[in-house]
This record gives sequence, structure tokens and C-alpha cells, in this order.
Amino acid sequence: MKKLVRNISAVLIALVLFSPAIAQKIPLAFKVPVYEKFTLPNGLTVYLMEQHEVPLISVSAIVPAGAIYDAEKSGLASLTAAGLQYGTKSYSKIKIEEDLDFIGADLNTYASKESATITSKFAAKDAEKVLPILKEVLVDPVFDKDEFEKERKRVLSNLEQAKLSPRNVINAYWDKFIYGSHVYANPVNGSPATVGKFSVDDLKTFYKNNYGPQGSAIAIVGDFNTKVMKARIISLFGAWKRTGLPQSNLAAQAVSVPQTARVLLVNKEDARETTFLIGGMGIRRDNPDFVAIEVVNTVFGGRFTSWLNDELRVNSGLTYGARSSFSPLKNSGTFSISTFTAVKTTLPTVEKTLHVLDSLHATGFNEKTLASAKNYVKGQFPPRYETAGQLAGLLTQMFWYGFNESFINNFQSNVDGLTLARSKEIITKYFPKDKLQFLLIGKSEDIKGIAAKYGPVTEKDIKADGF
Amino acid sequence: MKKLLSILLMGCCIPVFAQTKADDIKSFTLNNGMKFLVAEDNSIPNANMYLFYKVGSRNEHPGITGLSHFFEHMMFNGAKKYGPKMFDQSMEFNGGANNAYTTQNVTVYTDWFPVNAMETIFDLESDRIASLNIDPKMVESERGVVLSERSTGLENSPWNMLSDALNASAFQEHPYHWTVIGYETDIKNWTKEDLEKYFRTYYAPNNCVVVISGNVKVDEVKRMAEKYMAPIPANSPPKPVHLVEPPQTGERRVTIQKEVPSPYLMIGYHTPEATNKDYYSLSILNAVLSSGNSSRLYSELVDKKQLANMVGSDFNESFDPNLFNIYAIAAKGVKEVDIESAIYAEIDKIKKDGITENELQKIKNQKLIEFYAQIETINGKSNNIGTYELFFGDYRKMFDAPAEYSKVSIEDVKRVASQYFNKSNRTVGILKSKVEE
Repeated sequence: MKKLVRNISAVLIALVLFSPAIAQKIPLAFKVPVYEKFTLPNGLTVYLMEQHEVPLISVSAIVPAGAIYDAEKSGLASLTAAGLQYGTKSYSKIKIEEDLDFIGADLNTYASKESATITSKFAAKDAEKVLPILKEVLVDPVFDKDEFEKERKRVLSNLEQAKLSPRNVINAYWDKFIYGSHVYANPVNGSPATVGKFSVDDLKTFYKNNYGPQGSAIAIVGDFNTKVMKARIISLFGAWKRTGLPQSNLAAQAVSVPQTARVLLVNKEDARETTFLIGGMGIRRDNPDFVAIEVVNTVFGGRFTSWLNDELRVNSGLTYGARSSFSPLKNSGTFSISTFTAVKTTLPTVEKTLHVLDSLHATGFNEKTLASAKNYVKGQFPPRYETAGQLAGLLTQMFWYGFNESFINNFQSNVDGLTLARSKEIITKYFPKDKLQFLLIGKSEDIKGIAAKYGPVTEKDIKADGF
Repeated sequence: MKKLLSILLMGCCIPVFAQTKADDIKSFTLNNGMKFLVAEDNSIPNANMYLFYKVGSRNEHPGITGLSHFFEHMMFNGAKKYGPKMFDQSMEFNGGANNAYTTQNVTVYTDWFPVNAMETIFDLESDRIASLNIDPKMVESERGVVLSERSTGLENSPWNMLSDALNASAFQEHPYHWTVIGYETDIKNWTKEDLEKYFRTYYAPNNCVVVISGNVKVDEVKRMAEKYMAPIPANSPPKPVHLVEPPQTGERRVTIQKEVPSPYLMIGYHTPEATNKDYYSLSILNAVLSSGNSSRLYSELVDKKQLANMVGSDFNESFDPNLFNIYAIAAKGVKEVDIESAIYAEIDKIKKDGITENELQKIKNQKLIEFYAQIETINGKSNNIGTYELFFGDYRKMFDAPAEYSKVSIEDVKRVASQYFNKSNRTVGILKSKVEE
């Protein structure tokens, strides 16, 4: 390994919603740049935002076609999203790749828990080459059988390889452990047992039932003229129609919340360390206290000087990093503390983690701590929305979770409005205190006794199928 | 900016382009030798400060392997004005965040902050450069952190083990032989005196380049640099690394045992340092091999022949001659020897027939988009400005890069493939479950 980073969480956490924004003393507040939003007659929502700093255009599209619609075919949403690139009505897979590579354009299609996302970035001068390809990828994929068979083999290998790294798979175990029979438990990448049985027709059916303009959005940000782009988008996407059955809102079903403390122990025979999560239920993305929770979590486990990292890394040298985060979705969410330590220091590390959680509830914050967290959250906010790609992502997130630019524009005042008394209420209401859920991946033989201290233990082996 | 780049797209006027960009980035050097590069950019109300120290694992020797990286950690553990923990606490209280990284060549400290916090950042950085306090208690606790970092890297990726072994075999005299994180026993045994000596030798203002990008004014940066950094005395320059790796005269092979579903393969060819004339041709060769699904290795090994589940290559800037690596994970049931032969077959095609005009143009187009993406963020700007200043000797070369790439010919790429991709110049590493077969 040739490059070592001081604080790996700062690098890996980019996807977590909880991070930072604009300091108190700053006169210049960060605002969402002007954009135009409209809906086509077929239901597709379109966002256009001009940004002329560099001659690039970024596109982000979101479709309600995530893993929550997999049913028993775990991994199908993910393969379908990847399959969008296996050729379309007018372009073969090779042609798409060669055309886009030649002009340095990128194209990503992937599924996550709730949705599928298509992103692309290209030179402004190449818009006329890229947009027709994007349109066909989204609207007219053919799901070539040979390409699917090749991809499936790769996915099967990837699923096995992923299990070499606890860090890669721990969240899939966690979601299954916490959400139980709810569709939010569905692992996005599936498992060899299910993926091994798919046929290309499964992808076609999934596409037909879940891809369509209604409930979807496309955001285009970058160096273009809005009027010209608007006409182009209308002509490209105006005729898109959904053909399948109406979707049922599976994610709206209630999650059965764990009623007692529980432990899931995943055996990894060659583990040199124990990787673990402790937590429970979290929040929905539309929670009105979203910003306040972010500030509180910053103190607890959201930055380098957070209480968790300070105690487990700085004071005791037990780990390279410890953090906490909320993972909010549309209808539910989880909260987890995450860290790792050498097998032989598993017990003191778990104990210290619980001690820090206890002190959050027992002592709460003082004024200085709260002020620091507010400054930090505000100061680190603007770089999250610096590039055209980030802004396109923001617009599709706004669409998906139903918030608007007031989230950005009022962020500073919402952060500033958090009082000490309210922070205490936030801790009590949203940070779990008891009935904690524990997930440990490590060498079972060595840590089984430790696991049993915290609740009834369920054991799995990391090599077993699924999560 | 946009206008200038459009001129470049038309393939002319390179000097005009470079000259104008030189005006965009302001440079000044303090009397103690500390060089500053400043890029004003008011797109967001933030700024950053990247401090590039010319020290990395290549400056170590057995007994203190990993010390550069460990030192990077110690730089956060207390100085004269800001004691233990106060560096991070003060920075975060003022809305700033930081990170740092260590490589074989450099150690880089990165601060990101709302622009009104810049003076605090200067105060913090100057305090630790001027008067770091190496507290024995902090040294002990930090050893644990770094051992955990070492262990978690090995736990979560087979590539670490493989690339460590490959480097150890490919470099037998040069310090790229050991890993950046260092040997476990060195981590456990270096002393406070080792750290103090390292600090005196390498952490001098004249061994550092500071890059600042964001919503700043260069005059304000200059004022703060004079106030906080100028009083720190210069030091005599560190002794240059004199070790040179002798030419490799025969293929080397290493094998590592680890339980994995299918074998991992990595091949390293010795290639020259960043300032060598072949740098841009090799960089294009690297992209021809593995950039995008239409690249040679992906389309042959992963797509058409389905021998590999993934394939990649890398060739990066380096102070001393380093490795051009090609790596792959075997598809299920495929033997590593079959992938290895397929990789050599692709290399031989380029050595024999070169690359196509279309491929060359594709890579040049990609390099230009990469360049835009790098300058789209203030962090991309600082990181690249600093990288070009250190590795290529002049930050202006960052803006010359698109022109350097456009000068590379098909013949150049063929020539470097023939010159460097030879059997006797390579080391092959294989990581797999069954090593007795």
C-alpha cells in the first residue's frame, strides 16, 4: 500500500449524509444556485442548473427501482441497473463504451436500497453525442443475453471476494439484522444463491415493472444554455412511457423494531481484528430534527475530535478510527457506532464504546462543545455542493426525499438555532440507550464469550450464503 | 478559464495558455525558503491549505521503517502553543477539518476551512512546524493507532499483502523496498530520539511547499505567511537519498498464501521517475491498457476472454524510478498463469504493432477531461498544483500537461512499451489459496 491516510473515515464516509457547513462569522451564506424545475406530461421531473466554471456537464437521474423491489430475487435491482449498459435499441454495449471512452465521458448505472441512479459527466461540447446515448440507456435498454451471462459470472465472483473484507459487507449484515423481514433488509448486491438463478428475462421484467418517467427525475448541471437544453430534454424524454404493472409501496410497511438487546456474531476464521457495529433504529430522511441530529452526532461520532474517536483512538490507541452515523431512508433508518480493533482488545473496546454512549446520555454537552460542533458543521458544508456532479446529486436527492433548497439555504440558521436544552432532548429522543443491537465480525472462537455478555447471540459464518 | 481551455482544444497557443495560467496562480517564497502557491477561487466561501513536505518512506532506513507515516500522526499530538489534542480541537472549533497522507515520496497535510478561519490555520500550522512537542505518552498511544491501521489494511484487502511483497522483491537496494506503514517490529521499537531527529531533519520551512486555494486574497495570505511562517528558521537541506536500484537482470516471482476465492496477480515493471522524458508516453500507455471498458486489458481479459474478474494498471509520478503495475483477479476457475499469458500477449501486440490513432486520440481526450475535473474543486487544484510543483519541479507543468500529452506520438508509446515491458525487468506477484500445487 503506497498511500496512507491519517483518518480513513474522512475518506470513506463521503456517502453518509451526516457531515458538515459555513461558520458563524461568515457573512456570505451558501445558497443553492438558480435552477429551473419542470415536469413533462409523462411525469418525468427535470431540473436544469447552469454552471459555467468549467466546460463540463453532469447528469444525475433517479428511478424508483432499488433493491426494495427485489422480492425473493435478491440482487435483481442491482443487475438490472448494471444491465442498462448492455446495449440499447440503437447502440451495442461495445459501441456505447467506445463512443463514451473516446470523448472521456463517464457513465454509471447502479442500484441502491430504494432507487436506481444513472450519472454521467462529459465535456459540454459533446452533449449531442452523449445525451442520445443516455436517453437510450434509460428508455430503450435491450438486456443482451450474452452480456448478462458474462456480468453474472463477475457478480458471483465479486460477492465472494467482498466477504474477504468485513468493512465491505458489515452494512449488509447490519441491515438484515435490524430490519428483519422488512424490504429495507434486502442486500443491494444479492447473494450467490439468488444471483446464480437469474435469467436475462428477470432483468427485463424488473425493468418493465420499475422503470418509467413517473416517480423519476433527471437533473442536468453544467455549462449549457437552459432554453436550448430544455427543448433537447423534452424531445429526448417526452415519449418515454412506463409499460409494466403499478409499483406497490413496500417500503411503507412498518419496521418491527427490536424489543430486546441482541447480538449477531459473524465468524471469520482468519480474522486478525474484530470489526463491529453497535446501535439500533435511527431516523427517516424527512425527520424535522435532521439538522439538529447532525450537529449532535458531530460531537458524538461525526468528526476527528468526536467523543468516540477521542476515547477509542486518541486516548487509548485501541483503534485507527471510531465513528457514529445515521443512515436515513424514506421510511425508516438505522443508527450505528462503528469501529474495529485487534482480536485481543475486543472486550475493552466494546466496553469503552458503551461507556462513551452512556456519558452522552448522562452528561450531555456544554456551551463550548455545542458551539464547536455548530461551527464545524457549517464550515464543512459548502464543499459538499461545489461541483456540477454534486449539485446534480443534490437536486435528485431533493426530489427523492421531498425537501427543497430551504434545506441548504436555511442550513446555517437551523444549525444556529439549536440550543443546549434542545440538544439534550435530541440525545434522549434519537440516540439509543438500551436494547442495543450488536454486530461483531471476527474470530468467533476468541470472541464468543465477549459477545454473550451483551445479549442472546446468533452465530453465522461469513462464508455462508447471504447475510 | 473556459475560454482558455477552448483555445487548447483547438490544439494551438499552448504558451499563451500556460502563461495566462501562471498569472492565475500566485507564487512567493519567504526568506526561510518556504514556498507558497496561491489560487484564488471564490466559488464557495471556503479555502484549503495543503502543506507538502519532501519526506516519505524513501527517506527511511531499516530500524525506522514507517517513521515518516508515524511522524505524520505525531504532528497532531501537541506543540508549544497548542498542546495535545488542541490542534484538532481548535481547528474544528473554527469550522475547519483536516487530514494527512504519507507516501513513499511525500508527506502532505491538508486543512479545509471556512475562509474566515485562515489565520487560526496559520497559527496552528506554524506552531507545530516551529516547536512540535514529542510527548512519550502520546508516542505510546499512537503506536497502537498505527498498528491498528496496519492491521485493518491487511484485514480488508489482499492487495496490500501482494503489493508489499512485490515491492520488496522488485527493490532490493532502494528504499521503495519497504512499505509506507513500516515493519511491525519497527513500529513497536523506534524511540523518541528517532522522532526528534526526523523532525529536525525534515520539518523545516525550506523542505515544505504550501498551496492555498479558495476564497482568499493573495495579499492576505502573504501577510499571514510573513507573520506566522517567516520567523521559523530554515535548516540545512536534508541529505539526498543516494540509493539507486541496480538494473534488474532477470524476472523475479513471489507467491503469497491467503484464503481467497480466486488468485490475485500483480506484475511490476521498473519505470523512470516523473521528470523523465518518457513520463507522458508511459502515462498514455497506462490509459491504453486499462482506462475504461474499451481499454485493451479490460476488453480482452474481462470482456472477450473472461479470464479475469477485474483488471487494472497504474503508473504514478515518483521522485525515483518506480514500478508500472498491472494487476488482475482471476475469474472463477481460471488459473493465474492463463491471465498472465494473456496480459503478456496484449503487451506484445503493442510492442509489435503499436497503438491506433483512434486510441491515442481517445486518451488525449480523456486526459483533458481529467484536467477539467481536477480544477473543478479547490481541493483538486491544491493537490495538483502541489503535486506538479514537487514531482515535476514546477506547478506550471500542470497547465502544460494537456500539451505534453498531445505531443506524444504512436511511435513514442510503442517505443516505451518495448523499452520497459521486458521479462527481465519485471516482478510477478501471485496471491492464492493453494501455493503447494
